[in-house]
Amino acid sequence: MCGRCSGSWGLRAVTSGSREALAMPRTGGSLRLGELPAVAEELVARVGWLIRLRWLAVVGVVCFLEISRRVFSLQLALQPLYLTIAALAAYNLILTLVFRRLRHGQRDRAVRAPGRVTRLLLAESTADFAPPAEAFRAALLASVQIAIDLLFLALLLHFSGGIENPFILFFVFHVIVASILLSRPATFFYATLGLVLVSAVALGELLGILPHYPLHEALQAGAYRDPRVVGVELFVLASTLYLSAYLGSAVAGHLWRLAEKARLFETAYQRASESERAKSQYMRKVAHELRGPVGTIQTELKVVLEELAGDISESLRELVERAERRAGEVAQVTLELLMLSRAREAPLEVEMMAVDPAELVTEVVRQLSESAERAGVILRSSIPRRLGTFRADPDGLRQLVRNLLGNAIRYTPGGGQVDVRLARGEGGLRLEVEDTGIGIPPEDLPRVFDEFYRAPNAREISAEGTGLGLAIVKAVAEQHGGRVTIDSTPGRGTLVVADLPLEPVRAKRI
Amino acid sequence: MSVQRKILIVEDDKDLVAALQIVLKKHGFEVVAAHDAPGGLARAEAERPDLIVLDVMMPNATEGFHFVWTLRLREDEYFRTVPIIVISAIHQRTELRFYPESADGTYKAGEFLPVQGFIDKPVDPAELVREVQRQLGLARGDER
Repeated sequence: MCGRCSGSWGLRAVTSGSREALAMPRTGGSLRLGELPAVAEELVARVGWLIRLRWLAVVGVVCFLEISRRVFSLQLALQPLYLTIAALAAYNLILTLVFRRLRHGQRDRAVRAPGRVTRLLLAESTADFAPPAEAFRAALLASVQIAIDLLFLALLLHFSGGIENPFILFFVFHVIVASILLSRPATFFYATLGLVLVSAVALGELLGILPHYPLHEALQAGAYRDPRVVGVELFVLASTLYLSAYLGSAVAGHLWRLAEKARLFETAYQRASESERAKSQYMRKVAHELRGPVGTIQTELKVVLEELAGDISESLRELVERAERRAGEVAQVTLELLMLSRAREAPLEVEMMAVDPAELVTEVVRQLSESAERAGVILRSSIPRRLGTFRADPDGLRQLVRNLLGNAIRYTPGGGQVDVRLARGEGGLRLEVEDTGIGIPPEDLPRVFDEFYRAPNAREISAEGTGLGLAIVKAVAEQHGGRVTIDSTPGRGTLVVADLPLEPVRAKRI
Repeated sequence: MSVQRKILIVEDDKDLVAALQIVLKKHGFEVVAAHDAPGGLARAEAERPDLIVLDVMMPNATEGFHFVWTLRLREDEYFRTVPIIVISAIHQRTELRFYPESADGTYKAGEFLPVQGFIDKPVDPAELVREVQRQLGLARGDER
């Protein structure tokens, strides 16, 4: 008898009551860790739904037993049935407590790669997200519950007529529930488990190994003439049909809503990146417009300074020198804005060439060694000789290295040290620039990649700097599909790591 | 004392032309100027300069490139050999590249445009003078 008949509104609780896991568009390739718990919470919520459903099942079975006894005066084996139900209730109480701990206890959000068991248990879509430990625990819990529920249903069935009992159809629900919560292999496993259990009951009773608890004597012959039998049969069929219809359509509706949300999300994402591109294009146009006039001003001032247009007085020279310096600052900002917009807009394929990163980094180190020497900073590099060539944008990459190294030298007081390391990393190249400089205060760290942002201690030590250097570094790294991380302790130094998943170029043999 | 050398500047920025004119004249060169490619071609034919200073990024973006190729494809030996120094803000850093991809997939400077020299904008007058003198095979001070 019963199963989890009356719990038909359970799923509504899941679809509307829990946070829905949004399918993140994969474009941009940056699925951040912050979004993971949504998946975990969805799973945890579904386990909660399972527990609520079971309470309803307990109430449903008790109601059904009482109604059959009092209204239809069916002679059922009430004692074992009530014992089973009591056991089910006790078990669900324990689960409720465990679940509460899972939910409110210590949140273990450590992301781990899905193991074999996890992949087997979790539906594929969720396993992709490298679920946190709590998602795994929730899936395991759901899985164990479904197995135990099947066992309870088989017991109830056995004590109420075995194969004669029309509630045999309720095994379908366990399979549907499993298909909602778990992966396809797990669902098939539970379908098989249901079949094995029912077969065990049926065969056990058939072979006389198990006692038979008759449902009703009316079932023996002429059951079609007993309105009670017809009523129960029709009730079971109706509830099976409608519950299946409800479960299926609710899940489908949930999926449709998710798909719709994903679509909206994607549209919003596209719109945002379009406006980002428009901003970048605008920036490029402005910088481009400024560049010509500034260049001409610089040349003209130089002509004056070199006295090619006639001798100038000392005071005039000083004035023009100041003007030249300021024009140089404008030129530098426009140049960096151009580089930034280029890195952000340019489709990489256009710029890609075969680049020898070892050579490129060595070249930049050589270029900057003089300024390091001037600053009294020891510049050391560890660059493997034979790294090979990779597909990259050489200008962007050079700028990235130059900016990182330039920063390290600029913000390291005399006597300090700057280390440049280049190595093959996981899936590409890893460039590390480490200094013993002034460091970046933790409160400034999140903003150092912002355009025009300079940390106050950086401004203190040097008036130079546009605040665009690290923005360019980030843009170039992202253009190459990579990322940059900064680790810094004020007063101790800074470590910048650029991971660049560059594609190696095979030497063409001619 | 040698003959005064003639230099043609093809550059759309008239202020820059004025500044370069002062510099080159001060170093004893005769300077003629044009502000676009067609004007530059006409001037080159009429004046037959000893050297051309060319801005490749004139308003019509490829004008300078076109100028070079038009000049170099002429029958006349003079047009195929007159030294050209390109001044540009795009030489190393931005949108366009001057270098084609060579067989091994790398780029080398100066292989694409048949010109003799590159000077980055902003033009450093001293650098321009040095480059002009080098191209014309003049030692410093020779031109006077």
